[in-house]
Amino acid sequence: MIDNLRTRIAIVALIVVISVLWTAPNFVDTTRFWWPSQDKLSYGLDIQGGLHLVLGIDVENALEARLKKLSYTMKEEIKKEKDVTIGEIDIVNAAEGRIRINLKSPQDQKAVQAYMEDSSYGQGRIFQTLEANGQFVESRFYETEMRAFKKSLVDRTIETIRNRIDEFGVKEPTIAAQSDSRILVQLPGIQDSAQAKELINKTAKLEFMIVDPEFMPGSPRLEEVMGWIQEAEQKGGFALGENNLGYSDYLKKINEALKDKLPKDRIVRFEKAPNAKTLEAGKIPYVLQTDAMMAGDSLNDAAVSIDQIGQPIVVFSFDAKGAKEFGDLTTKHVKQLLAIVLDGVVQTAPNLREPITGGRGQIEMGGGGDRQKRIDDANLTAMVLRSGALPAELEQLEERTVGPTLGHDSIEKGKKAGLIGAVLVFLFMLAYYRSYGLLADVALGLNVLMILAVLTSLQATLTLPGVAGIVLTIGMAVDANVIIFERIREEIAKGAGVLAAIKEGYGRAFWAIFDANITTAAVCVVLMYFGTGPIRGFAVTLICGIVTSMFTAIFFTRTVLNLVVGKWKWTVAP
Amino acid sequence: MSNTQKNNKGFNDPGRFAFMSVAPMFSVISLVAVVLALAIIMTKGFRYGIDFAGGTEVQVQFNQKPPVSEIRSFMETLVDSVMVQTLGENNEVLIRMQMAQGESEKEMNEKNNERIKTVTAGLVDKFQLPGDAIRRVDSVGPQIGEELKTNGVLAVLYSLIMILIYVGLRFDYKYAPGAVLCLFHDAMITLGIFSILGKEVNVQILAAILTIIGYSLNDTIINFDRIRENEVVFKGKDLSFIINRSVNDVLSRTMLTSITTMLAVIALYIFAGGVIEDLAFTLGIGVVVGTYSSIYVASPLVVLSDKLSKKWLTA
Repeated sequence: MIDNLRTRIAIVALIVVISVLWTAPNFVDTTRFWWPSQDKLSYGLDIQGGLHLVLGIDVENALEARLKKLSYTMKEEIKKEKDVTIGEIDIVNAAEGRIRINLKSPQDQKAVQAYMEDSSYGQGRIFQTLEANGQFVESRFYETEMRAFKKSLVDRTIETIRNRIDEFGVKEPTIAAQSDSRILVQLPGIQDSAQAKELINKTAKLEFMIVDPEFMPGSPRLEEVMGWIQEAEQKGGFALGENNLGYSDYLKKINEALKDKLPKDRIVRFEKAPNAKTLEAGKIPYVLQTDAMMAGDSLNDAAVSIDQIGQPIVVFSFDAKGAKEFGDLTTKHVKQLLAIVLDGVVQTAPNLREPITGGRGQIEMGGGGDRQKRIDDANLTAMVLRSGALPAELEQLEERTVGPTLGHDSIEKGKKAGLIGAVLVFLFMLAYYRSYGLLADVALGLNVLMILAVLTSLQATLTLPGVAGIVLTIGMAVDANVIIFERIREEIAKGAGVLAAIKEGYGRAFWAIFDANITTAAVCVVLMYFGTGPIRGFAVTLICGIVTSMFTAIFFTRTVLNLVVGKWKWTVAP
Repeated sequence: MSNTQKNNKGFNDPGRFAFMSVAPMFSVISLVAVVLALAIIMTKGFRYGIDFAGGTEVQVQFNQKPPVSEIRSFMETLVDSVMVQTLGENNEVLIRMQMAQGESEKEMNEKNNERIKTVTAGLVDKFQLPGDAIRRVDSVGPQIGEELKTNGVLAVLYSLIMILIYVGLRFDYKYAPGAVLCLFHDAMITLGIFSILGKEVNVQILAAILTIIGYSLNDTIINFDRIRENEVVFKGKDLSFIINRSVNDVLSRTMLTSITTMLAVIALYIFAGGVIEDLAFTLGIGVVVGTYSSIYVASPLVVLSDKLSKKWLTA
């Protein structure tokens, strides 16, 4: 391959240096001085402990709820737009998004069909006619609409779960879609899994509440409230996020403390401060009226739109019952602030410029900031509104909880096993091959270093089976050296000189080693594809070990032999 | 030209051990072992872990020696079919519950979740345990179990197909059946041992079996590679002679690698504990069976498939 000895030594040196650079942060605190790479290996949940959940979204249920809500609106709109009174609307098959509108008279068919095909509810056409006759019009969602709905369902659920997880202050949570109806939640280091599960599974609660005009943002009265809150925290010796104090418990404590100071029917809720990442980092209190509020479950839909002057706005609509309630509320409290509260957190509190009757309203984004920020805000608000309006039911499909002490024990045991295994292999090779054994051992040490370096640079997650994979690699990686050394012995037995035997040994052994390794690698690829979490970790470390062992056991050892036997003329034979 | 001389001398040397002359006997033994393993697997079946069967597993740590029978009778008041066993030396107990029965999968999932809460809270309450005594909870619902099973079967299948293709491409077609049947042999015997011992089959074990397949193939390929090389060196010799010679040529390597791998596996088995223990156990069986099969199963099969193909071609 590369015959020049200097080049070979340079390559080996370079790889060793890079490996040390990548691996070091795992063992030494490199933040104290300058170091090119600060990445560390992350441990899987089975090692650091935590909660692993797979949640299924009840898509069918969500579709049914959506069709039900749409059907109320349809009845009203068909009456209003086409002046036709329709009969019952049946949900034929919720999973396929099929509904049937029963007609009161055959001549209504055309109007109803036209309405269905044109109806958009703000997002483009959504219904496709399947069958239309004198008795009924049957339609279903377009395939694209179904896909979009499922995707937004998953996105909204993830967003909602993320908001709730934030309450726990979990470091690096994973909340990701696993398929079009499944969500994976991984919370490393969580102590109270039961509480976490409860929080995740609880349906989002959306409320609209009027802000007490006495306590407007920036008013001296609100300043006073802030003082009370500080006082209560100091007196009670608690703070949000401290000692695992979650947001809902914190709210309870604060409201308990302020009960006698606030007017009747008033409660405190908080909004995340504009530049804060979490509630703990910064929060703004609101005093809200519990005698002027409504629940958000009658909200139909919310979407981002652009108003006449090109500004992003959020448009939303209620079902018939909600429309009336919302109309009454906003008429009574016009010119006041309406707080949109999700799971007890004030999301936004827009000014009610005029009463919102007719079940449709819009929220204008605040004037400050750049346009992109306003668009982002609008998207977020729309999502918040929808997530309260359309909570998909979650089903828990899989749970794995590992306590932090167990994980700690496991990794300690794993390290011990690895160390002992390595020492045994080291001694065996040394005893059997003497100086060549020492060479193979150095190669093995380099191999472990390289595996750790590659895993660190890939930001792979080390799991327990992953540790087993490394230990197994230690056992298997010497194979290449055994093959080569045995071949060299054979050649010497045939009468070849040491240098010639080395040349022959490496030359002939290479393809045998390659063939043997590639099949193990193939199995690892299959495992990576089909395996879940820990198993994937096993496959990743094993495949890393195979690849790096090709370098250490062949390239590295040959370079050393070329130097020692070839250049320095020390005729050592295995 | 001493080199050639030695080679010439070695030209008629079939190697130290006459593997091929005893191969028929071992072939019969292997065949019987595989049939037996299959029969046991079919009649006795496997004890599937919760990964595949669904269900809930709770690992609890006690302050002193756990009162197993008391735990068992307490658990029986909460759930119907429950298994309690001690675990390792840390005063730990493993409690395993079958999948909760229900009308629908949804109901089963709900019951399963409810069960986690009642069982963990009940144990902590009844035995006055600290909150972190519940060291691990694993709960798998029916859908995930089904999926893991399907994925497992697919993983084995795809691995075998990939191996078949690779061996077919890199070596002569006559080698491929030997390689694959050999792997089948290894997997079946390992699974058979699991069935006999009533050891639990779960995702980790499946991964271990796939690794064994990779490992055994490693041995087989080293043998095949030498056979291929020797077919050129010993042109004109009987294939059976060539194979015997090749197996002898690489024998020391085969044994050495088995020893080093076994050393690592034994270290894992004794010291790593927990989930790794079963993984190491499987690997250990695999190393032994794999080493044996690459000598006594894969190589004789090459002779057989060579003979058969020649017969077909001349017929």
